[in-house]
Amino acid sequence: MTQLTPQPTKIHPVAEMYAKEHREGKIDRREFLVRATALGVASATAYSMIGLSPAHAMGHRQVPPMGGSLRIQMEVRAQKDPRTFDWSQLANVTRGFLEYLIEYNNDGSFSGVLLESWEANEDASQYTLRVRPGVTWNNGDAFTAEDVAANFVGWCDANVEGNSMAARMGGLVDPETNRVRDGGVVVLDDMTVQINLPAPDITIVAGIADYPSAVQHRDLIGTNPLDHGIGTGAYRVTDYEVGVQARLEKNPDHTYWGDAYLDEVFFIDLGQDPAAWFAGAEADEFDMTYETVGEFVDLFSSVGWEQSDVVTAATVVIRPNQNNAPYDDVRVRRAIAMAVDPQVCLDLGINGQGVLAENHHVSPIHPEYAELPPLVIDKDAAFALLTEAGHADTEFEIVSIDDDYRRNTTDAVAAQLRDAGFNVTRTVIPGSTFWNDWTTYPFSSTNWNHRELGVIILNLAYRSGVAWNESAFANAEFDALLDQANGIADADERRVIMVRLETIMQEEGVTLQPYWRSLFRHYRPGVINAEMHPKFEVNIHYLGVAA
Amino acid sequence: MGLFILRRIGVMILTALCMTFVVFFLTNLYPKLETLAKTQGNARMTDAQVASWIERNGYSGPMILRYGQWLGVVPGWTRVDAETGDLTGRCIERTATAEEALNAPTFCGVFQGDLGYSTVSDDEVSSVIGGRLLLTLKLMAWAFGVMVPSALVVGVLAGMREGSRLDRSLSTFSIASTATPEYVSGVIFIVLFASSTSGISPWLAEMGWIDGRTLFLGSARSAMEDITFWNFTLPVMTIALYGMGYIARMTRASMAEVMTAQYIRTARLKGVSFRNIVLKHALRNALIAPFTVIMLQFPWLLTGVVIVETLFNYNGFGWTLVQAASNNDIELLLACSIVAVLVVLITQLISDIGYVFLNPRIRIS
Repeated sequence: MTQLTPQPTKIHPVAEMYAKEHREGKIDRREFLVRATALGVASATAYSMIGLSPAHAMGHRQVPPMGGSLRIQMEVRAQKDPRTFDWSQLANVTRGFLEYLIEYNNDGSFSGVLLESWEANEDASQYTLRVRPGVTWNNGDAFTAEDVAANFVGWCDANVEGNSMAARMGGLVDPETNRVRDGGVVVLDDMTVQINLPAPDITIVAGIADYPSAVQHRDLIGTNPLDHGIGTGAYRVTDYEVGVQARLEKNPDHTYWGDAYLDEVFFIDLGQDPAAWFAGAEADEFDMTYETVGEFVDLFSSVGWEQSDVVTAATVVIRPNQNNAPYDDVRVRRAIAMAVDPQVCLDLGINGQGVLAENHHVSPIHPEYAELPPLVIDKDAAFALLTEAGHADTEFEIVSIDDDYRRNTTDAVAAQLRDAGFNVTRTVIPGSTFWNDWTTYPFSSTNWNHRELGVIILNLAYRSGVAWNESAFANAEFDALLDQANGIADADERRVIMVRLETIMQEEGVTLQPYWRSLFRHYRPGVINAEMHPKFEVNIHYLGVAA
Repeated sequence: MGLFILRRIGVMILTALCMTFVVFFLTNLYPKLETLAKTQGNARMTDAQVASWIERNGYSGPMILRYGQWLGVVPGWTRVDAETGDLTGRCIERTATAEEALNAPTFCGVFQGDLGYSTVSDDEVSSVIGGRLLLTLKLMAWAFGVMVPSALVVGVLAGMREGSRLDRSLSTFSIASTATPEYVSGVIFIVLFASSTSGISPWLAEMGWIDGRTLFLGSARSAMEDITFWNFTLPVMTIALYGMGYIARMTRASMAEVMTAQYIRTARLKGVSFRNIVLKHALRNALIAPFTVIMLQFPWLLTGVVIVETLFNYNGFGWTLVQAASNNDIELLLACSIVAVLVVLITQLISDIGYVFLNPRIRIS
């Protein structure tokens, strides 16, 4: 018989260790929360472990009054199989009816949505997922462990074009068949699923909290959610016109397991031009922005809208591609790095709306971040190194997309390289064609979104031969160290390896990565729980408007 | 006359064929298909995945055959998935069951009345483009309603006394307005009338003369449901102003010419009042030339709405064209070009036929 009362969950020993580290001042609160909750400690428990009252800590989410209607400015794109989502905007609409196992909160912690709890074993190679009881699909079926397992199987199917979940599943995918590993996903009972990984993996929790991991009905994996509308969430889509707007309303035929406040939500597409968004705000077209960028941050504030911001690990990299001469020469890459002052990029690229980074793509808010000696910026030495490499007259073409901050940041890089004596040309390519070749441009800029752990980003972007390795960086030592780091749940131990990983990134001049962006959002006074999220998530179940 | 119209329709079909083939060719070049695959699949797909997507979605055959499929003279592609055994194809709906898939028609192209599938909107082209055209029609109707009468008044006033002070000032206005493209005048209008921080709106709000924050709305989105004076004035004015100057100039030239004609001098010598000369004798003859110009403005308006609809977020035909082009939505783009060809050639036809009625000296044969 299944036990009806949940057993008191044992707190993971590593989490206890993190709590000790936090008390000793080794890690700050955000880092502690990320690490402890990733190991399956409920966020309320995690707060209490470090002597904080969860009520106080979670207090930033208010209880809005019931009812009301809200209009959110956001692009409305054509929906598709959630596994292939490439825009958070897609998930923000479907999140109204397709929920997630786990969600990533904007304070850096994880909490269960369709999972009541989860635990990792000592070396983080086995996870036990406990399904939230009492959840039903809006077609009447009960939500069970079978649904969870079916979704894992779907996520692991690397044969589906554009299925980015396969990369997040890591070792759970069998490289031979490109499908889920035998015995990788085991249904223990109606309410429990066990995930068995071949090697320790600490990124899987972050992976299933990410936006493409929307949980579909067990029989509907791989379908476009708009075609059937079946989900566990409180809302249903009544109207979806790509490029124009989407409308969701509270589903009257469905009993939702949690609370939902708004009666209806509109997502209004005003295109990609922030000036049009501002004109829309002045014309009272919407109540809340998806993201406010650049100079419009001040403009929105100046017309009386409330501002919410969050520091993230979202960034822009301006990377040479090592498959192209002259960037195969490490001296050229180091000369480039030495000639560019990140502070200038931060100031000119994003009006100083962020914090400085150190060209190694691991952010101070990542738990395993290791501090390295400050970067040396020396334009004369840079040019001397370039001359030594024999490329003093070589023309460097830097490509960027035609938009606001990415173009400006790339311009700032180009200007500084010219100051140092490099022969630089700039090419700006419209967004519609830029992404065709984004991994193969010889020297170009790319924006990278926030990831929860430093190793996640290194695995995605800098491991030899991976799909998104746009710098064509291939380094056996780096790969081996990264493998090692992937298996260490303890961030302090991992940091020892991170020091070397970060140093390799700098020594090899892999990329210019000047700053971490702060993200901003604005909303009308009276909109509740609309705070900016580091991954642009909007969960309409939490939103509300003051009566 | 009947033969003339028939010939014109023949030309129209031929033009539409050539035009759509050019569009089809350009949008089906491999790099554009790659864009399509990446916007439809995942922006960060690998090259192998892109190739597989293109193959699986029927974009891999010879281009001329695929153009034939779009026309409906070549059987639509079908494909049986090697693993699942599912039948997919051009004429099979995405959500169709296996049985429906087997019974799908062989041909489905323009000749069968099927404009195809819009990839960006995830919907049938016909259902996308219909509503959008209606919105643009409203915008154009209002713009024409403002543009033509005011242009004629300005042109006639300027042309009836060539060289007078009135003529000079109205001509200056016409030249200025026609020299200001929509993307300039639209932005100026927004800054002047639809910003709560600049232009006249903050001042008006301070004086308490307007209720909202701005005089007019800088976004015409709400006009899609309900057109009001406040949300539609700026887009209509932006389009109207540009065409107005041009028509006014043409009217003025025509009017000025008529005013120097022998019969006007005769009328004046006979003591007819100036008012009657202008209204009864000059006006009718002076309007023949502007008629052609006005009909020619229809195709011009099509380019205008592309800019204005994007600027003011009015989701009509012009906006759809921009969306289709930037996402390489092949079949939507083709449908847009058919509409454009039809608009241009039909207005030409009307202009030619109308000319005959206005000027009996011209015969069509």
